[in-house]
Amino acid sequence: MNESIKRVNAIFQKDFKDFSRNIAVSVVLFMPLFVAALYGRMGVDTLDAHYMIINLTFAMVATFVQCCLIAEEKEQNTLRGLMLSPASTFEILSGKSLLTFVLTILVIVAGALLSEYQPANLLIVSLAIVLSSFFYIALGTLLGLWAKSVMEASVIILPVLGIFSFGSFLLPLAEKYPVLKVVEYLPSVQLIEIASKVENGAGFSETAMQFGIIFIWTAAAGALTAIIYKKRMMD
Amino acid sequence: MTLAFIDAEKHKNDALVFPAFNLSLIAGEVLAIYSNVNIRSQLMELLLGKSSLSQGEIQLAGQALAQKSVKMGFLFLNDGVYKRLTVLEALRFYKNLHNSPDKVDDIIRKVQLELKKNTKLEKLTPSEKRRIQLAALYIQNPDVWVMEEPDQNLDMESKRIFLSLLTELRTAGKTVFILSGNLENAVIAADRVYRLDENGLYQIQTLEEEPEVEEKVEESAAAESIQPIRFEKIPTKVNEKIVLFDPPEIDYIESSEGQSFLYIKGEAFPSYFTLSELEQRLLPYGFFRCHRSYIVNLQKVREVITWTRNSYSLVLEDAKKSSIPLSKSKMAELKGILGMK
Repeated sequence: MNESIKRVNAIFQKDFKDFSRNIAVSVVLFMPLFVAALYGRMGVDTLDAHYMIINLTFAMVATFVQCCLIAEEKEQNTLRGLMLSPASTFEILSGKSLLTFVLTILVIVAGALLSEYQPANLLIVSLAIVLSSFFYIALGTLLGLWAKSVMEASVIILPVLGIFSFGSFLLPLAEKYPVLKVVEYLPSVQLIEIASKVENGAGFSETAMQFGIIFIWTAAAGALTAIIYKKRMMD
Repeated sequence: MTLAFIDAEKHKNDALVFPAFNLSLIAGEVLAIYSNVNIRSQLMELLLGKSSLSQGEIQLAGQALAQKSVKMGFLFLNDGVYKRLTVLEALRFYKNLHNSPDKVDDIIRKVQLELKKNTKLEKLTPSEKRRIQLAALYIQNPDVWVMEEPDQNLDMESKRIFLSLLTELRTAGKTVFILSGNLENAVIAADRVYRLDENGLYQIQTLEEEPEVEEKVEESAAAESIQPIRFEKIPTKVNEKIVLFDPPEIDYIESSEGQSFLYIKGEAFPSYFTLSELEQRLLPYGFFRCHRSYIVNLQKVREVITWTRNSYSLVLEDAKKSSIPLSKSKMAELKGILGMK
């Protein structure tokens, strides 16, 4: 166990150094922060606006950064070296996800401070955010294994950004087009649901349903990632 | 630790890649297989467990090869490095990843990158990047080292570092398996060299302790045949034609599978004669049998390189700067010819 933590830590530190010098990717950290600062100064204080920033952070930081980290390892032929090392699949993926997770949480906290978002129940909201970030990181890993280069990664992130960050904009249309009811089950929409229920003083029992849906998304993305990774190991 | 191929045979898309062969590598030896790119990549895939043999088995330490074994380490031809890390950071990462007791500074000294310790890997030359990969493998410290074209496109310094690393691995009792498409490099690096093609596996003679007696007989025979110069051109086969070459045109002669090839301006021409026959005929023209499988035109030799205490090679002054192995026993003889006893 101790050795396992050491290996995860080694991968985390390596990625941190690599990431901090990779300006092309690390610059995306500032995008949600910039929007947050803008909203904060403009005095926009709706729940939707706050969650637009949080969902943007998920797509830009959790998914995109993770996707780039994995795609770059593949592009540079270094992922194979990691796979042949004593580190297990779980250790490699958690080492790589750890950096993205830390960055995501930091940007969300900083963004919330800048846009002056104060949830009524911090515990439930942070739990929901942590669970959601797992989903977005798994999605990023999946896309990273899919993409052949960093260049490709930055293109395939666009539909993710559209669907998961701005999907909630489609909600008002759902009454007209029943097909769009699917949008309600997106993890980003579910997250907003939790947040609005919390503002009305709801507890864990009332939000269990939403947590459940996000959890299903996370589990599905995680399982799919594991399968694709095993497949990639063979070629 | 031993690595063994037992009746290993591979077919791919109904075509034979290589027929069944037996080969076993023991601890403390460096063995090279000289083959074309197809067979080389097939062997790599087999050892990586990505494809399986059509027949037979590969055994690692007496057991069938498992898919992922940390006992086996790979050096790939197209391996990458973390380009934004410095030499020190990258090696520290490998050390932590493999939980190795080695000191990073020692390893940097071993691959002679002390001056570039804080240089980012993307700023290193391709040869230096290769040294980083060697260092990473050294940190991993596997029992069996599988190396794909380890000395392709290496500069002189890196080659020297590579060969002295091989010497160290031999003493440490590691097994080194080199896959190469370059016979000269394979002969210089390895103790035993085999050629693997669709006809099977053949050993390429590299043994130094060949019967000296036989050679002496040959030499005296050569001395006798010097006087009447029968004719001074060497015939070679080109398709159906016979092409004659002046001995001074020839750069060197290589023998493989009983066939000798004349190399002239980088091109190979099959000869009608065996290496010993050619040796006799060419001796008066300043040719020298520098290795079991090589005769070199001494006029064309530019450099004699000492890799380690008992591995040498000759660099010619032709356009390709071909390097030819020089065996240990022949080194003394060469010194004699050069008048530097």
